[in-house]
Amino acid sequence: MLTWLVLLPVVGALVVMSTPPARRELHLPMGVALSVMPLGLALYVFAVFEPQSAMQLTEFHSWYEPWGIAWNLGIDGISMPMVLLTTILVPIALGASTKVTKRTKEFVVYTLLLEAGMIGVFVALDLFLFFIFFEAILAPMYFIIGIWGSERRVYAAMKFFIYTAFGSALMLAGIIALAVLHNEQVGAPSFALADLSGLALSGGAERWLFAAFALAFAIKVPVFPLHTWLPDAHTEAPTAGSILLAGVMLKLGTYGLLRFNLQLFPEASVDAIWVMGILAVIGIVYGAAVAIVQPDLKKLVAYSSVSHLGFIVLGTFALTSGGLQGAVIQNVNHGLTTGALFLLVGMIYERRHTKEISEFGGLQKVMPVFAGFFLFMIFASIGLPGLNGFVGEFLVLIGSYTTLPVLAIIAASGVILAAIYLLWAYERVFTGVPEKEENKMLSDLSVREVSLLAPLAALVLLLGLYPNILLDKIAPSTEAVLDHIEASTDYQVPAPGRLGDVFVAGGEEE
Amino acid sequence: MITPEISWLAILPEVLLAVGAAGVLLVEVQWKPEANVLGTIAAGSIVFAAAFSVLQWFQAGDSVELGTTGDLVVFSGLVLMDGLAIFGRFALLAVTGFGLMAAWKYIDSLGRRSAEAIALVLLATSGFSIMVAANNLVMMFLGLEVGSIALYVLAGMSRERARSDEAAIKYFLLGSFASAIFIYGVALLYAGTGEFEILGIRDFLAGFVVFSPAVILIGLGLVVVGLGFKVSAAPFHSWAPDVYQGAPAGLVGYMAAVAKIAGFVAITRILLAGVETLDADWLPIVAAIAALSMLVGSTLALVQDDVRRMLAYSGVAHAGFILTGVVGGTTEGVLFYLVVYSLQLVGAFAVAAAVSGAENAESSLESFRGLGRRSPFLAGSFTVLLLGMAGLPVTSGFIAKFGVFTQAWNSGFRWLVIVAVLASVIAFAFYLRIIVAMYMDESEAADLDVPATSRWVLIVAVGTTILWGILPGSLLSLAADALPL
Repeated sequence: MLTWLVLLPVVGALVVMSTPPARRELHLPMGVALSVMPLGLALYVFAVFEPQSAMQLTEFHSWYEPWGIAWNLGIDGISMPMVLLTTILVPIALGASTKVTKRTKEFVVYTLLLEAGMIGVFVALDLFLFFIFFEAILAPMYFIIGIWGSERRVYAAMKFFIYTAFGSALMLAGIIALAVLHNEQVGAPSFALADLSGLALSGGAERWLFAAFALAFAIKVPVFPLHTWLPDAHTEAPTAGSILLAGVMLKLGTYGLLRFNLQLFPEASVDAIWVMGILAVIGIVYGAAVAIVQPDLKKLVAYSSVSHLGFIVLGTFALTSGGLQGAVIQNVNHGLTTGALFLLVGMIYERRHTKEISEFGGLQKVMPVFAGFFLFMIFASIGLPGLNGFVGEFLVLIGSYTTLPVLAIIAASGVILAAIYLLWAYERVFTGVPEKEENKMLSDLSVREVSLLAPLAALVLLLGLYPNILLDKIAPSTEAVLDHIEASTDYQVPAPGRLGDVFVAGGEEE
Repeated sequence: MITPEISWLAILPEVLLAVGAAGVLLVEVQWKPEANVLGTIAAGSIVFAAAFSVLQWFQAGDSVELGTTGDLVVFSGLVLMDGLAIFGRFALLAVTGFGLMAAWKYIDSLGRRSAEAIALVLLATSGFSIMVAANNLVMMFLGLEVGSIALYVLAGMSRERARSDEAAIKYFLLGSFASAIFIYGVALLYAGTGEFEILGIRDFLAGFVVFSPAVILIGLGLVVVGLGFKVSAAPFHSWAPDVYQGAPAGLVGYMAAVAKIAGFVAITRILLAGVETLDADWLPIVAAIAALSMLVGSTLALVQDDVRRMLAYSGVAHAGFILTGVVGGTTEGVLFYLVVYSLQLVGAFAVAAAVSGAENAESSLESFRGLGRRSPFLAGSFTVLLLGMAGLPVTSGFIAKFGVFTQAWNSGFRWLVIVAVLASVIAFAFYLRIIVAMYMDESEAADLDVPATSRWVLIVAVGTTILWGILPGSLLSLAADALPL
């Protein structure tokens, strides 16, 4: 099942590749149709997914026995939402790419390969396999930014590639070190997550390995001060690239921290909660502060990502039920809302060929539907109660207050700053009367564009009103992570931090 | 006087190649046929030699254990026909075949001189093929020289181009200098141990306690330096960029690949099979050469504006990666890396040759602009090969790097692995520069034709790059069988 989930997009890419390049008009619809198939499969996985802590739908095939590498797949409450998010965003990203007129075929092929890689990262339970997917997705993303991006695309693509490759290179050394250690302790090399998390690591080794993995993921997230590639990549990428970059690829970092760092290096993770927490909070405040002064709408959304992902990192290293659940669900929330915001920015860019905030004004009058969607997504992003952003940020804040109270309080200011930069941007772009001639005759959203935004909006509302549809499936897995940490270290989650404690359970229901 | 036993059968493939070379020259003189006829003769000798190697491999079967006497050690100990030799020879033959195909358009354009080129290629391969099987260091030197001298001439095949002359002269001067260093090292090894044979040296070191191994170590060092020249490891790499740039584009891939295969098999044989007991002495030095090669190669490749020079420096870096595997102490990763990289190299220069055209013009980065439009096939294949050399996952290059890194880490050289992963990140940058030029820059130049032979070479190179990236087991297990240590 999971194998098919990974392979379906690859098959789709091959199908598209085999079509004649002259039939340009066919490629995009084909891509959308083909990417709906993995979505269907992912929905099926969601339906059969049992709310329990163990890995489900596991598959195991030895790959090359002497090295101990294996095609080892499985899914749990931490990865399942990510897979779902990926498969939802890809058709939307493709559907939004009607303005990609040059080399449409290759564009669709790269996007589908990207999807396969991203799903692979989330379902791989073998570190070697994980690394293969983690690194392989760099190539399609590099092409998507580099070929279909805007003016400084080559620079941005290169920067993106080298930054992330640098991070993952050290992680590769870390993975090798773990496998060699396993060989020394057990007598056979293994890359399976389950095997490696049982290794006895010396304190020093564990800290180094934690650092190697954390660096790779922190660059991907990106955690302050490793974020400088992100604004460039986001601004230069085409709309579909931005959606997938912000929606999914950044989550590879937060997912990796949660899945690998906490699982493999519990001791070092416990030691690192302050460091990671402080970096996260700096990211929250810094990202928000820089977003306020951005003159470019797309850059503004990009910096808001830095800020929002800070919440996820903070929640992860709060090491409480609320924090972890909040981190997982905020991954999904941020993917939906920021994906939608990039989509919206892309739509206005297609009409006006500029993203400068000062070029706009009064758009509410000319494009009411567009303005409505924009405002809705802004509210979701700020965390208005009733919409999805609130659930995630609230869980993170409540979860981190028990372990890192000072940081939680500072982080809360990020919510206020978000309101400032997003609403101020809205004010400048949409309110008032349209003064520029070009803005007066803009057409409102087409049926196609509405149909891309509507599902995202519906999900934002659904997760805002009934988050338990996901949280019920997430909770057993995040609890298992905490159990693992408590079992292998002296760390005990402070009293109101676990799900069992009445306080958080009450907060859950909100 | 004792007559040495002659086992023609053991070296039949080398004989076939030499006969093929002579045949090509004689047929040319007598009948002056089309180049295609000569090509068929060459292909025939290569195919038969390869087929016989496969037979030998299976015949050797499980008995390819190192140091067993009997059928394996032939010609009174001069030649050791073990798994390593057969594996190395098969790789050489494959590279020769594909190399000739990649260079075919160029060879064809040489007219009456095409016979020379073909014969030299066959001779070079037969020399290197003996070199990988040599147990006696003098025999190894003979193989090395037969191969190298043929390569010097090949580098200067385009006599009318000044760059080609320059390449040939540089290659010849520095190459013979390196050969001299090598043979002096052999002499010192003989002085220290009284043995020319690698297995003999091993037995000597195992049987005697050497109180002052200085002579042996100096000899060993000189041998490694000599071979280091041949595989263009830093700091012995200075000839490589000029030769890669000046020699005929189609042939460079072949020249570089056979020299690397033969050189590294010899290094592996001497270091891992011969003087393994001295590893406390040579490991740090080889590790230092490896680190230097990776850093120098990757960094200098960044600032090149000619694709062939870039590939030359990337070759220096790759020499470092392969040496990392040698430091790791098992042959599996080294052999896998060699095969994978050689095929990518031949493929890459097939692309360079197609872009430069038969007249063998420049291969500046400029001339690769917009290749994605001018020839999607060439650009697509080159992209896969470059990503393979860069070591991006889902290509064989990644598995190869991963293999040598794991081995090196396993034997305790952690700093070397860290250097290696960082060097591979630097290397990404220049591979990407070529890809940028091909896909992200525009060009007005006309569409390019790809010769049919080059097309096949590229299909094989790209196919194996992806196949072994996904299913490495088939080649890895063969490599592991070649020299079980």
